[in-house]
Amino acid sequence: MNKAEADAIQQILAGNRDAYRVLMDRHFSAVHRIAFRITGNQADAEEAAQEAFLRAYNKLPGFRHDASFSTWITRIAMNTALNLVERRNRDLSQQGPRIAENPSPADQTIQMADTYPGPERQLLDREAATLRNDALAALTPMERTAFTLRHMEDLPIAEIAAALNVPANSAKQAVFRAVGKLRRSLAPLAGGL
Amino acid sequence: MTYTPHTTHFSEEDLIAYQLHESSDEAVIQHHLELCPECAATSDSIAETLRVFSSAPVPQPDLDRNWQRLRGNLSVLTPVPPRAFFPRFLLWPAAGLAAVALLLFTFVGVHISRDRDRIADLLPAIERMSHTGAGPNTAANTAINGHGPLTTEPTGAADPAMANHLDAAERLLTEVNHTSGSLDPATRAQARDLLLSNAVYTRTARDHGDLAQAAVLDDLGRVLTTLDNETSSPHSTLQLRLEMNTSGLLLDIRILRQNDDRQNDNRQ
Repeated sequence: MNKAEADAIQQILAGNRDAYRVLMDRHFSAVHRIAFRITGNQADAEEAAQEAFLRAYNKLPGFRHDASFSTWITRIAMNTALNLVERRNRDLSQQGPRIAENPSPADQTIQMADTYPGPERQLLDREAATLRNDALAALTPMERTAFTLRHMEDLPIAEIAAALNVPANSAKQAVFRAVGKLRRSLAPLAGGL
Repeated sequence: MTYTPHTTHFSEEDLIAYQLHESSDEAVIQHHLELCPECAATSDSIAETLRVFSSAPVPQPDLDRNWQRLRGNLSVLTPVPPRAFFPRFLLWPAAGLAAVALLLFTFVGVHISRDRDRIADLLPAIERMSHTGAGPNTAANTAINGHGPLTTEPTGAADPAMANHLDAAERLLTEVNHTSGSLDPATRAQARDLLLSNAVYTRTARDHGDLAQAAVLDDLGRVLTTLDNETSSPHSTLQLRLEMNTSGLLLDIRILRQNDDRQNDNRQ
């Protein structure tokens, strides 16, 4: 942890709440990115990232100053996002609108960047996005988290396992199962790939 | 897995591990994929799946908006206070133990003090046994009867009347120590006479700060009071000697008297 972050934590513990902005500016985007990978939508990603930062703030008095704030907040964010996904899965009312047949901003689903704005391409991209989201939504929270963190964020298996509080082999098997499920889910899109 | 070229295919899991660079048999699998179209197709499918999900973009969060939302939920923090030496739940048990230890200490202290008194009571007899024939000047400089520094040095305030009182007390105690039966009325009357003067000398010694002398005279006062009030019986004198340690008191009085004599000699 560098001096600026250590100073910020000292100021926070001295009663200066605004000093937390220093830590948020440095780490919120990365935390949000991981949360997005796990939750799959921006609204939940922001909610999980906010909750992670709030939890970290409240635990700051007990934070060991020789530890890395980045690693610490990332682990909190992974758990928070994973819990949010599980909570969403339990709450059936939250599931339907998330993966819409026709994604739109109101549905809180992802709008993919499009370099070819033709109508046909847009249609295909939307279909691909829907299939991807459906495929990811079919994974268990553990599989989705392990897969996205390993493949999209390029985190090592050991770190993922530590964050998920599972053995390394379990995390690795979760990644492998996720890839297998995704491949079969995308088979129609790829013409039987 | 045990691999035999051209006869065994790799599993999907092995090929996923290969594509994710998590396989320990990467070279072997690569060699097999060059020779096995079926496994190569599966491996290509896995690679395409990974490519599809690699391109998923992540929207950028609005930092200011998130900060404003978060800040409203932040409380003012204070550092965790250093851990107390004793955990809070041990405070009351520790206080109880301390109180019990204090009571025990006081109780033992009182008994040790009493025992010290008893030991000191025996000292005169021990002194007599170890210094038979020796004069009072050669007696050890001990706190006799445990009441303070009764020394063999002369006191600064020698009083001829005091010497007479000590002489009378010595004779009375000698009589008591050598009487086997009950005391005669004359001895009892003498005790009564000495009682008043003894009280005066005890007060005088205290006023002069001679606590050792005052302590000896105080003991003498208790013996005289007992002699004056005890009913006469064949064993009353023996009981008195044992209970009041009249032998030890007699030695104390001799030392006091000797001190007074030396004081008078110094004056002359």
